[in-house]
Amino acid sequence: MIADVEPTRCVPIIDAVAPPERLAMLRVLTGMFAVVYLLVRLPVFLQLGDRRSGFDGVGIAALLARPVSSTVVDIVIAVTALAGAGFVLGWRFRFSGPMFALGMLALGSYRGSWGQLLHFENLMVLYLLIISLAPAADSWSMDARRRGGRGGRGARDDAGLESPAYGFPIALASLVLVITYVIAGVAKLRYGGPEWVFGDTLRNHVAYAAARLDLLGGSPSPLAGWAVRLDGIWPLVAAGTIVIELAAPIALLGGRLRTTWVLAAWLMHIGVLAFMLIGFPFPLFLVAFAPLYRIERLWLGRPSWAMRSSDQVAERTASATR
Amino acid sequence: MLVAPVVLNEDGFPLSTYPMYSRSRGAVVTFVTAQGIDANGETTALTLEVIGDSDDPLIVAGELRDAIRDGRAQQRCDEIAARAADWGRLPPRTAAIEVVTERHDVVAQVEGTPSVLARTVHAACEVQR
Repeated sequence: MIADVEPTRCVPIIDAVAPPERLAMLRVLTGMFAVVYLLVRLPVFLQLGDRRSGFDGVGIAALLARPVSSTVVDIVIAVTALAGAGFVLGWRFRFSGPMFALGMLALGSYRGSWGQLLHFENLMVLYLLIISLAPAADSWSMDARRRGGRGGRGARDDAGLESPAYGFPIALASLVLVITYVIAGVAKLRYGGPEWVFGDTLRNHVAYAAARLDLLGGSPSPLAGWAVRLDGIWPLVAAGTIVIELAAPIALLGGRLRTTWVLAAWLMHIGVLAFMLIGFPFPLFLVAFAPLYRIERLWLGRPSWAMRSSDQVAERTASATR
Repeated sequence: MLVAPVVLNEDGFPLSTYPMYSRSRGAVVTFVTAQGIDANGETTALTLEVIGDSDDPLIVAGELRDAIRDGRAQQRCDEIAARAADWGRLPPRTAAIEVVTERHDVVAQVEGTPSVLARTVHAACEVQR
């Protein structure tokens, strides 16, 4: 969030300001997504404990000389899941936040330590690490409720005031987002070269993903067979993919440019899912793009019938005037 | 820090070079897989769970590739055969499991036309029903 947090001085990112509710909403959205992801992929994470051969540690798992026991894996999963609940609720966030982020970092590292690095969890874990070290539970959290505070919302006395303390983490997450996409675009030019754009590489990747699934007994995309027969479109699609990835920094400009890029990036992921059955859930569910928007409005702007008390109506009114 | 993997050209987690599907790829690709075989040499596709005890094709293919590379293909074949014996949809005529490397024209494969260019059997094992 660089475009929608108004810098009060002249150093972008560092001096970006935002209300505490925006950072709190980023905590809730990212935390909820990560907890659901952990629970949905629980069988995969639990299976990690049964593996004994082929270990090649990456990330913080590189600190391990050999695989850990299944008991250790089970304990890390359980502690991470519990910390995840604390992360979302903002309960003892100074502990639950870093614990959840480190737990997901550990599980993601361990999962990628068997000769096949996956890239579905990178951005999510980076967001968790950023949020966990930020004052993301100063509002809309059990910690804030326990502390008591202005307007009965339990926030700190300075809650509601825009501050770099809340804006910087959001701006940093935005920066991480766009750099990630730029790196992905650079990788295609670096490793694939002009052939990636002008040749049949993208068509062959689509065919490869479908053939691999078919030969391993999975269910390939029903669209793949139709798609690979389309002549002439693949260089355009490939060029479009690289343009979208390299153009990610325009999202930091805000406004229509940001939303146009977000839509293009999301459609790119939809295409990858449709033709290759490879889903990157973090951007597909739009959580990856959350730092680019005034996401506190998702709650503050809810219909009046969803408001529980006059205090909350006042909360929305107060926020609208900020 | 985020661009360090790019500078070092080393993929990692959570910092990455995001190399997935970034390399140039031709239409001819070598795959590792495991298949059921009947007495006539007809092959039957298995499932991700039977082959690799996972629903993730990247993990299943990666582990099978590692097993072949490390000389553990026979051990892996026995594990697959044990899971196949418990698999309710295994055709009755399937007598054995083969761990194989196959070279395919992937475009032809997806279009449903003959695509196998070469096939190497790394291990074979009987299905004990």
